[in-house]
Amino acid sequence: MSGGGEKGSATTKTPGDFLKAIRGRPVVVKLNSGVDYRGILACLDGYMNIAMEQTEEYVNGQLKNKYGDAFIRGNNVLYISTSKRTLADGA
Amino acid sequence: MASEEESAVKEPLDLIRLSLDERIYVKLRSDRELRGKLHAYDQHLNMILGDVEEIVTTVEIDDETYEEIVRTTKRMMPFLFVRGDGVILVSPPLRTV
Amino acid sequence: MANNNPSQLLPSELIDRCIGSKIWVIMKGDKELVGTLRGFDVYVNMVLEDVTEYEITAEGRRITKLDQILLNGNNIAILVPGGSPDPE
Repeated sequence: MSGGGEKGSATTKTPGDFLKAIRGRPVVVKLNSGVDYRGILACLDGYMNIAMEQTEEYVNGQLKNKYGDAFIRGNNVLYISTSKRTLADGA
Repeated sequence: MASEEESAVKEPLDLIRLSLDERIYVKLRSDRELRGKLHAYDQHLNMILGDVEEIVTTVEIDDETYEEIVRTTKRMMPFLFVRGDGVILVSPPLRTV
Repeated sequence: MANNNPSQLLPSELIDRCIGSKIWVIMKGDKELVGTLRGFDVYVNMVLEDVTEYEITAEGRRITKLDQILLNGNNIAILVPGGSPDPE
């Protein structure tokens, strides 16, 4: 039973590690409502409250709004993603 | 001029703190938006706003044509309290970049 | 008594065993994700890599590919180790 966790630790990346790694980077934040926010992640806290810069709001993939700075309340957040995304409509 | 400590955004709520006494934009659940002057807030994002414009967006489906009819209703309120749990997004006024 | 059962596995241990493997996450509501689990915390917030997101919308199923995400544990309903809604 021992060692299972340690063995994985070389590739393990906890939420805390992730949060440290993504400050200042371009991110996509998706809310539970399905709305996406793209921008530069300024900072975030343990509630997943997020401060973003150069924020763009996308509803159904369409740009709806731009904000210089934006605070997003963490309870609405579904995920924070680091990368550009590719879209495809499945059957 | 504010010292660096006061103006730095170290945690997300600092963005709100720096917006005190400024006009902010607040996006709320159920398609409500507010613009008003931020007088006070707390860690839940409960807020007191003054000189507030509220915009409510509703979408109705026409009974006959099934077309979506988007309506926005605006009203002014001199002073109000916003409960934090309804808040989705807060944006300070655009600063000079 | 239950503690003496050697076959008992704590839920968190089961998730820990999934680290480095594919995991299928079914959210409350019409969303599902499949990705490689990199880590998680006590709230079961999860870091996932090479993620495929499935959204069931009125227009059909929308698929989104994502390199790396931090998934909020708040709205997770079910975790399936290794599983996937797609056979591929």
